[in-house]
Amino acid sequence: MSDLQIIEPEEKPIKGLRPTETPLLEMRNITKRYGAFVALNSMNFYIGRNEVVGLLGDNGAGKSTLVKMMSGINPPTSGEILANGKPVNFNSRADSEAAGIETIYQDIALVDQMSITRNIFLGREITNAFGFMDHKAMEDKAIDILGSAVQISGIEDPDKEVGFLSGGQKQAVAIARAVYFKRNILLLDEPTSALSVRETEHLLAYVRDLKNQGTSSVLVTHNLYHAFQVCDRFVVMSHGAKVYEARKEDTSIEEVTYHVIRT
Amino acid sequence: MATAQSDHIRAAIQQRNRRSRSSRIVDWVRTKPEGGIAVLFLAVQLVVIAVSLANPSFRYLDAANIAVTLKAIAPLGVMALGVSILMIAGEFDLSVGALYSFCSIVAATLTMTWGGDSGADVPSAIAPFAGLAVGLLIGALAGVLHAVITLRFNIPSFITTLGAMLMWKGATLLYHGAQSLRFKPSEPFNTLFNSSIGVVHASMIWFLLLAVAFYFLLHHHRLGNHFFAVGGNRNAAVAIGVNPVRTKIIAFGICGFMAAFSGILAGTRVMSIQPGGGLGLELQAIAACVIGGAALNGGRGSILGVVLGTALMYTIQDLLLLLRAPGFYFDMFVGGLIVISVITNMAIRRKG
Repeated sequence: MSDLQIIEPEEKPIKGLRPTETPLLEMRNITKRYGAFVALNSMNFYIGRNEVVGLLGDNGAGKSTLVKMMSGINPPTSGEILANGKPVNFNSRADSEAAGIETIYQDIALVDQMSITRNIFLGREITNAFGFMDHKAMEDKAIDILGSAVQISGIEDPDKEVGFLSGGQKQAVAIARAVYFKRNILLLDEPTSALSVRETEHLLAYVRDLKNQGTSSVLVTHNLYHAFQVCDRFVVMSHGAKVYEARKEDTSIEEVTYHVIRT
Repeated sequence: MATAQSDHIRAAIQQRNRRSRSSRIVDWVRTKPEGGIAVLFLAVQLVVIAVSLANPSFRYLDAANIAVTLKAIAPLGVMALGVSILMIAGEFDLSVGALYSFCSIVAATLTMTWGGDSGADVPSAIAPFAGLAVGLLIGALAGVLHAVITLRFNIPSFITTLGAMLMWKGATLLYHGAQSLRFKPSEPFNTLFNSSIGVVHASMIWFLLLAVAFYFLLHHHRLGNHFFAVGGNRNAAVAIGVNPVRTKIIAFGICGFMAAFSGILAGTRVMSIQPGGGLGLELQAIAACVIGGAALNGGRGSILGVVLGTALMYTIQDLLLLLRAPGFYFDMFVGGLIVISVITNMAIRRKG
């Protein structure tokens, strides 16, 4: 079989930019294997203070694997994770929660059969010493959160089952949850895929607002125009590795598009 | 700023809370499965009571008939409480009927061995309680075992517990044989579990106490919230930080515990235990939960629904007995009721 060719990825993995100050979260030399399959290969990634990072790449590039790792539900095979410069282990959701990370998932992580209030407080119920829930306190807070955090219309009853909400409203509830619990890093995995145009604008504006209030975000998206509206830095992945990284001021939408398509 | 933006929500909630009681009840009936089953239950009761008042030969309101019905509800109700918790958490246990027999036979045998039979020369007062404790512990541990196997090997609990059902059935025959077992525990155990206050048998009081406890656990405790979450959307629960393995192990344990308790309650009442007595009960318990609005794929259900579902099944059985209808009518009616209740629940859910 002499005509067998090995097709190399067109772009070689690169080291990328170095953080200038201690980042909120830094991943060094991260490798993730599933058996023989390498999902992430010596990946370096960081999230600085007051910045929005765009994580780009085609399907199967390893973006979701990386996001799941940062949210603690998918520990790395090898590599180092540092939160505020200190090495940490991310073995469960509780570990990433301690580092101040909240994730808004592509397949929205809400329980359809439960009310908005119960979803917002799921896993962090307001309870008395015996574990019994204080429904009144949770409803009061939910009303405040829904009014202040995300102005997406149509949510008038925190008692409503989440299954009856639209995609945008569900996203709003997920974001409201993240905001209320004062996270300093928000991971948004394809957050706009289920949203209408207007809801998308709301969401992107909201990500910018959050940045000004001190919450950094990672935006995983296919839509480079959305990414260009809000991101300060772009990381392009391919085959589980970083192939391009640039600050917004050093690049253009054409250049980023080129690197996403080439991979 | 925050409060001003929330005003429209507060206003909407205030309006909702200002509604008259009747419109609230109408909403409850229209939007909640247990509301629908409550209406059906009350309607059946009203019709039957009216008929029996008009026609004294129809003995529905006789004290003896009421006493028998209340006695019959308790064991299945206790089992259904546990089954409903597990169904809400998104799993099944088909072995509860076999556990019902196995645990009660172990409890009864140990009670006898330790001198707790009321016919003994000096009956031991503690022995039946010790037997009860061992029986309940076996039930809970069996549930945990089913959970660990299901979750460790990631197989459907339907399969695990189908196997477990046959295994516990065999274990019952291995441990005791096929003959029935006398169970007449000493005092005060007998009074606690087999006396009556008027027409209300002790087992019914235990059932109601447990139902209240389960209501607070499921609808007002953090753990209950996690049962709904894990059964409703397991991935979301994981992502949010609820541990599904721990939650489901607890649900299986509760289910096994309740199956054992229901077996011992029934055995104490009839004063003897048949090794095959629990067979088929698992499906009746699931039927009671489904009639009461529990979803087969998890995430939905209520304790009130389970209580009403069980009560409705036994009301129908009682009516058919009073009408001297052959036993197979009961199965036919319950079968129809299951399908109809699921159809109406789906309709309610779509309407929102």
